[in-house]
Amino acid sequence: MNASHDQSSSDAAREPVLVASELRKTYRMGRVPVLVLKDASIEVRSGEWIAILGASGSGKSTLLHLLGGLDRPDRDGGMIRFEGRRVSDFGGAELNTYRNRSVGFVFQFYHLLPELSVLENAMLPCLVPNRWFSATLPLLAAVIGGGVGAAVGSTFGVEILPTADAPTPSKIALLALTCGVLGAAIGVVLFQLGQVLAERSRLRHGPQAAISRHTLEEFGLGHRLRHRPSQLSGGERQRTAIARALASEPSILMADEPTGNLDATTGRDILDLLKKRHDAGLTIVMVTHDPAVAEYADRIVRLEDGRVVESRA
Amino acid sequence: MYQPLLANRYLGSRIIPLIAVAAVALCVGLVIIVVSVMSGFLDMLLNSGRTLMGDVIIRYADPGIPHYDLLIEEIESRPEALAATPVVESFGLLKLPYGNRTEGVQVWGIDPASFDQVVDFKDSLVWTDTPPEVRKFAEDMNGLEIPVFDELPRLDPGSAGGDPGVILGVEIDSAAKVRRMDGSYEVKAPAFWMPFRDVEITLIPISTSGALEKPDNRRFDVANEFQSGVYQIDSRRAMIGLETGQRMLGLEAAPIYDTRLLDETGELERIGTYPARVQMVLVRAADGVSPEALRDAVNLAYAAFAARIDDEDAMTIRPPDQAFVGIRTWREQLRDLIGPVEKERELMRILFSIVYLVCAGLVLSIFWSIVHEKTRDIGILRAIGASRPGVLGVFLAYGLVIGLVGAVLGALLGWTVVVNINAIHEAMGEPAPGWTWITAFSLAAVMLATAIHAGLRGGMLRTLLSIVGALLLSGVGTALLLHQGFLMWDPAVYYFNSIPNQVDWSSAILTMAGAIVFSVLGAAIPAAKAADTDPVKALRYE
Ligand SMILES: Nc1ncnc2c1ncn2[C@@H]1O[C@H](COP(=O)(O)OP(=O)(O)OP(=O)(O)O)[C@@H](O)[C@H]1O
Ligand SMILES: [Mg+2]
Repeated sequence: MNASHDQSSSDAAREPVLVASELRKTYRMGRVPVLVLKDASIEVRSGEWIAILGASGSGKSTLLHLLGGLDRPDRDGGMIRFEGRRVSDFGGAELNTYRNRSVGFVFQFYHLLPELSVLENAMLPCLVPNRWFSATLPLLAAVIGGGVGAAVGSTFGVEILPTADAPTPSKIALLALTCGVLGAAIGVVLFQLGQVLAERSRLRHGPQAAISRHTLEEFGLGHRLRHRPSQLSGGERQRTAIARALASEPSILMADEPTGNLDATTGRDILDLLKKRHDAGLTIVMVTHDPAVAEYADRIVRLEDGRVVESRA
Repeated sequence: MYQPLLANRYLGSRIIPLIAVAAVALCVGLVIIVVSVMSGFLDMLLNSGRTLMGDVIIRYADPGIPHYDLLIEEIESRPEALAATPVVESFGLLKLPYGNRTEGVQVWGIDPASFDQVVDFKDSLVWTDTPPEVRKFAEDMNGLEIPVFDELPRLDPGSAGGDPGVILGVEIDSAAKVRRMDGSYEVKAPAFWMPFRDVEITLIPISTSGALEKPDNRRFDVANEFQSGVYQIDSRRAMIGLETGQRMLGLEAAPIYDTRLLDETGELERIGTYPARVQMVLVRAADGVSPEALRDAVNLAYAAFAARIDDEDAMTIRPPDQAFVGIRTWREQLRDLIGPVEKERELMRILFSIVYLVCAGLVLSIFWSIVHEKTRDIGILRAIGASRPGVLGVFLAYGLVIGLVGAVLGALLGWTVVVNINAIHEAMGEPAPGWTWITAFSLAAVMLATAIHAGLRGGMLRTLLSIVGALLLSGVGTALLLHQGFLMWDPAVYYFNSIPNQVDWSSAILTMAGAIVFSVLGAAIPAAKAADTDPVKALRYE
């Protein structure tokens, strides 16, 4: 059942970016299968803000995870299309790009990396995509280090063999191999060290840092950039998480109970932030159990009994 | 690139990476120490064997090998051989100049010059100069002649006459001196210092028919002492001159008389000469020639030598049949010594592989728990679009750094212990100095005070740790106080008079590489497992 049949004409004019049809998701609790989503269908149009309203345990998070490409529906359990392409057909690299660039995800429980600063957390999505050099350079360092090690090992290996051991070719080969391993390790570690030093300033002042810094300042976290998540309040953490979700300028922001753990005032602040972004053209899919929060959205659907039911235009 | 950043942060936070580094370092250090000492022993044994008897030994017990000078000439004409030297050998009795002590010794009669060419004998002589403490003693005794040490002493008296010389194994006399840490000797009782003294040696010659003859007893000047490094040799062997030895053992050249003429004319007619003989010829290989190749060359040389004698006068005494002459490499000659040590080393290797595996398991499990804790982080990274190999890269870098740092620290630890192992052993042989246990007890008292202080203020962890620390320190203090010192390594029980202190770098590098590989694997396996699960499942991990 497609939930967006009777859309207002202005919404209908817009392109559907994300279409999910007849999603089914079963969890197994031991032997007992629990059917959480039964034929849930939803259509998200470009530039709209949808709120998915539902009771606790109704499967809101589950649905959002499926939409965000973080989990897969059951086998033959419906399909999800993003800009006309089937998300379930995505290969590893495409799926990574989808998670990284197409969707910005805000989790119910912040999920920030405790070892990184606020700024680093916020710009993390810009750092994770693989570049051509992200595997090649360390490998090159390993090969060069290993080659040097092996050369040294096979040249000077004879001198460090105990006199009792005859220098047979296999012993020399073993020595060359082990020296190669040592050399490769040293090469890679030196490379990493260089990388850490080289990226230090780029992490604070590069173009991506500038974008995230700007977002965080807009969110009122300008004075918190170098703090660790553990030093922040719940509201500040959630704002950091939203800044992270926006870092790679995604097509859709998916927010799972963005105000769920916050008091009313803080929650409103956060919703106002989202509203500002929405007014600037951001598509938002938000999950909540709170009708008052859902009021911020253009459109509200309900998740009841594993199905998406249209609620209000 | 986020891998170096994140790996760096993981390494910098909390104490767990330090524990992992310490565990890796301890394992590496332990392996290096044990392997180095074990292979050091075998090395010392083999090297000393080689410096004791050259590369190849030709041996034929009484009545010995006649015309050995021709044999040596034949051997030295071969390119495989550098030098050869004749040696006579016998058991004898050595009477020491004090305490009425008589010891059974193995007496070797050598020609110092050629013997040195084969086994570098000069290097094993203990005294090159009279030590200052002895000089002082000699002056006090005024008039006691201070001995002069030649580079290579003459042992046979020659035409000038006088007493023959002897070079004693350095451990035969233990009254006059003690060995210092560095292997040199300090003279404690100059009055008993051997180069001042004479000894008596008794040898029993064996006739050509194998019967014991009248014992020959002579007085010898102690010319020097030698140290081979093998206790069994240093405490048993005395070197005298080749000619003296031959004369005492009845192996010198002797005229042959025709006894049938005795009845008719009452005079002996000399009809030939019985040539001098030796029981051993030691041969040194030319540079780059293996003992086995030299042995084959010596076999050929012996055959040529035997054929040459055969061509000569029929009256000449012939050399023993080659089939009965032992021509062996030093490795074969020392088989009885090397065999057990090699077996022991194999056994150690097996035990060692087990220790190695246990260490590997330890490293693996430490990493497992560290990375397992990061499962949620892995889920987050995957959820924002990090690739599986990318996430793995973080933990590869993490394991690599811990493995490398641990391996290097472990190698340093192993090196420090191995290089100082004799000093450590020496220190363990003494009662602990007072300051060590006083320090331990004082620190324990401080710890106890801290515990009481922390307890009053209600800090449970600090109280607990301080109490444990105080208990540990007082335990250590008590142990130090009671420690009377024990010698683990009695040179009388072991072959060598010092513990090998050379790091076996080939094994060390192998161990370091292994530690790195296991660290990387240990970090990568659980990380790969976490990266493979769907991000949602990883996120659910609490
Ligand atoms: N991994 C899982 N294994 C088994 N059951 C699960 C699993 N994840 C979710 N469930 C169950 O599926 C149902 C829906 O879970 P979900 O987290 O989607 O609910 P929700 O609507 O987000 O609830 P809330 O508002 O409390 O966050 C719940 O009953 C939950 O117990
Ligand atoms: Mg939920």
